[in-house]
Amino acid sequence: MSLEQAAQADTNPLADPEERPAPPAVFVIFGASGDLTSRKLMPAIERLALRRLLPPGFAVVGVARTEMTDDDFRERMKELVEKGGGGGPEVRHVWESFVGAFRYIAGAYDDPDTFERLKKVLAELDQERGTSENRLYYLATPPSTFPTVINGLHDHGLSTPSSQHAFARIVIEKPYGHDLQSALELDRVVHEAFDEKQVYRIDHYLGKETVQNVLALRFANATFEPVWNRRYIDHIQITVAESLGVEHRGTFYEQAGALRDIVQNHVMQVLAMTLMEPPVTFDADGIRDEKVKALKAVEILTPEKVKTQVVRAQYGRGWVGGAEVNGYREEEGVNPHSTTETYVAMKLKVDNWRWAGVPVYLRTGKRLPKRVTEVALQFNRVPHLPFHLKQVEDLEPDALVLRIQPDEGITLRFGAKVPGQAFRVRSVSMDFFYGAAFLEETPDAYERLLLDALIGDATLFIRSDEVQRAWRIVDPLLQAWEKDDVALAKYESGTWGPEEADQLIEADGRRWRRP
Amino acid sequence: MASALSGSGMSLQPSVDFDTIGSWEAENVTADQVQAALSGLRRHEERAAVRTSVLTLVIVVGSTEEASEHIDVVRHLGARHPSRTLVLVLSDEEDDEESRLDATVTVCAVERAGRQIAVEEVVLECRGPARFHLDSLVLPFALPDLPVAVWLSTSLPSRGDPLLEAVDRVVVDTRVVGYQPDALSRLSALSHRVAITDLSWWRLKPWRNLFAGLFEGHLYRPFLRDVHHLEVTGHAGPRHLFAGWVMSRLDLPRSVIHLGDAEHLSVKLVASHEGRRGRFAVERKGDERVIDASVEIDDGPSFQQKVQIGEAWPSRSLADALGHMGHNQTYEAALEAALGLLH
Repeated sequence: MSLEQAAQADTNPLADPEERPAPPAVFVIFGASGDLTSRKLMPAIERLALRRLLPPGFAVVGVARTEMTDDDFRERMKELVEKGGGGGPEVRHVWESFVGAFRYIAGAYDDPDTFERLKKVLAELDQERGTSENRLYYLATPPSTFPTVINGLHDHGLSTPSSQHAFARIVIEKPYGHDLQSALELDRVVHEAFDEKQVYRIDHYLGKETVQNVLALRFANATFEPVWNRRYIDHIQITVAESLGVEHRGTFYEQAGALRDIVQNHVMQVLAMTLMEPPVTFDADGIRDEKVKALKAVEILTPEKVKTQVVRAQYGRGWVGGAEVNGYREEEGVNPHSTTETYVAMKLKVDNWRWAGVPVYLRTGKRLPKRVTEVALQFNRVPHLPFHLKQVEDLEPDALVLRIQPDEGITLRFGAKVPGQAFRVRSVSMDFFYGAAFLEETPDAYERLLLDALIGDATLFIRSDEVQRAWRIVDPLLQAWEKDDVALAKYESGTWGPEEADQLIEADGRRWRRP
Repeated sequence: MASALSGSGMSLQPSVDFDTIGSWEAENVTADQVQAALSGLRRHEERAAVRTSVLTLVIVVGSTEEASEHIDVVRHLGARHPSRTLVLVLSDEEDDEESRLDATVTVCAVERAGRQIAVEEVVLECRGPARFHLDSLVLPFALPDLPVAVWLSTSLPSRGDPLLEAVDRVVVDTRVVGYQPDALSRLSALSHRVAITDLSWWRLKPWRNLFAGLFEGHLYRPFLRDVHHLEVTGHAGPRHLFAGWVMSRLDLPRSVIHLGDAEHLSVKLVASHEGRRGRFAVERKGDERVIDASVEIDDGPSFQQKVQIGEAWPSRSLADALGHMGHNQTYEAALEAALGLLH
């Protein structure tokens, strides 16, 4: 691109097309004294600085209720990043020039003075640090404060870019609402202040390299896509398993449960990427349009079907990895009579040309035997096996498994002859580990997503209609459970879930994979 | 050979953990015998049988000492680009009439994040006329369907070198060869024939990124339309490449560009926009691995940023560079423009 072309396209002619540096901007964190800021956001910012992806005209403003000076905030961020394994003497120069542009505003989110002071600090940074009137707001606060902060930004003219060259974007953490109705209400508040194009709803799962690899595998290879449909696939299993319990998040988890915490967001995103049609373009709307279309094809369960196609359960005591662990109701912050689900399994059908008749089985849970996220596509059996039954008794149907975490990679299970005089066929697995072919240090999910938001690439963020669609799928379950229509099953910690979940899939003549 | 790699200004890297699974050595052998030995070593143990390679790397050196030093670099590389390495040692001690190959084959496992990655190393000492037909040695050892890169650490290939027919990419280092009077023009001619990876270009990346970053945003970008002065100091080769890059990207006339000799690269640009003068600089001032970037706009923002740069280990530059396999048009345009700076 020549200088003239770059000027017309408003791009930097010196920028390396393969690099994606952030533009000058102020990153404003609401909830700057909280856990997410110190554990995820600041380490991500540090890594972006170390990778030279932040320009000199970059500044951070922390906003929170806790009283702190600018220097306290700088020191605290530095300490917490170091505590998390970052910082240190070898990056001291970076921190020295970098934290000079850190500011802090102590104030309540419902106090107009907080926003007045924010406005003043932003203007100062534009003048002193050359941040070009660009703002990226990040809501790292409890969800209940989202409307207050958004209204505060709107009322003080901070939600609108100050010129056609500048941007004002907002990143909103999950959970985005606690049911369909509340998500719609939050959207109403958000859209009064921001256009949808300014809104970046974050699900850190989408920032994971291996989740993005689902798209690469499907749409960059001619091998897999032709068999990625009802003609060849018998059924799909998606598993998001954790070996941990609720740890110290008992109070939060009591309100959320597995359905809101994992299914409505992470599972729905992985499901959409598995089911979607090839996008015309690999840009934000190209991909998100197809994801929404895929989610629209997923059946909305009736109350009757919720009873027969969904299992909810809660973990009891048991053994995980050689350690005896408490049951959910014995966890800190959990009601001893709690009916919050820590496990969900369900069967969904997808009503479109590609997937009609291919059931999708989803399961997620805590205190399962190991941490694993995978998508398994089980192929149909061959139409005719020209072998004696005895020769193929060890043969399972072929399967393609996308392992998202850990041990990211692909496994293809197929039949092979057992060596020897007799003709016997047995299933074997061929494993590909991404880590063995690509040994690059991959960016952390937050690092990737923050950079995307600064650049203005919304591909890996969730659009309003996607959120709504995901809530529409899980809302009937919430309603049924509220009425206590569906029994809460129990499972022992360290097992793959309750018997009811096995019965759910076995009723169709299938069984859960052992990941 | 210490001079070859240290001549690039790179420092020594801590040793990498690797485990020799098996090795084989023989004198006066054929390529077929070497291949059979390699297959035997891979069959011998399960760890070696499972391989995930991404390329074949060919290294051409002048002595067995050079071969050892380069293999050490490549073992670090194995932890990022699992590959088969073919080292061709061109012995010129005697002017043999008969071609002769002495071979050493090693299969080893490099430990990375708890996983062992199997890599293969084949060292062929070539004597006699075989030295002039290296393509015939590369082709049998190239892994099927994977790119073949040849690393020439101290020289540039001649135009008619048959080796170029057997490879997809040539890895060179302008910092090492840049002082040769015709190096840039030979490189430019070579780039029309085969894709080039220039390790200097990759080591310049922090400077390029940081310099480009100074012009991100609508406040600074307009300054690029009226550049009065660009000063680039550094070693011959890298400074030409950097200046050539800016010149080609901004269509700058030769008259505004000033080059000078210095140990570390520094860049200063002066430009104007709407009557205001802006000074933009990216400099490495001392031996500490820190680059300063600064912007000063008359009656406007003025600020500095410090950026740490990683150790200049040869394997790091090589690993970064090998991540990109096609022609690099930005580099080729920079090289072309750099030719205009020689006079």
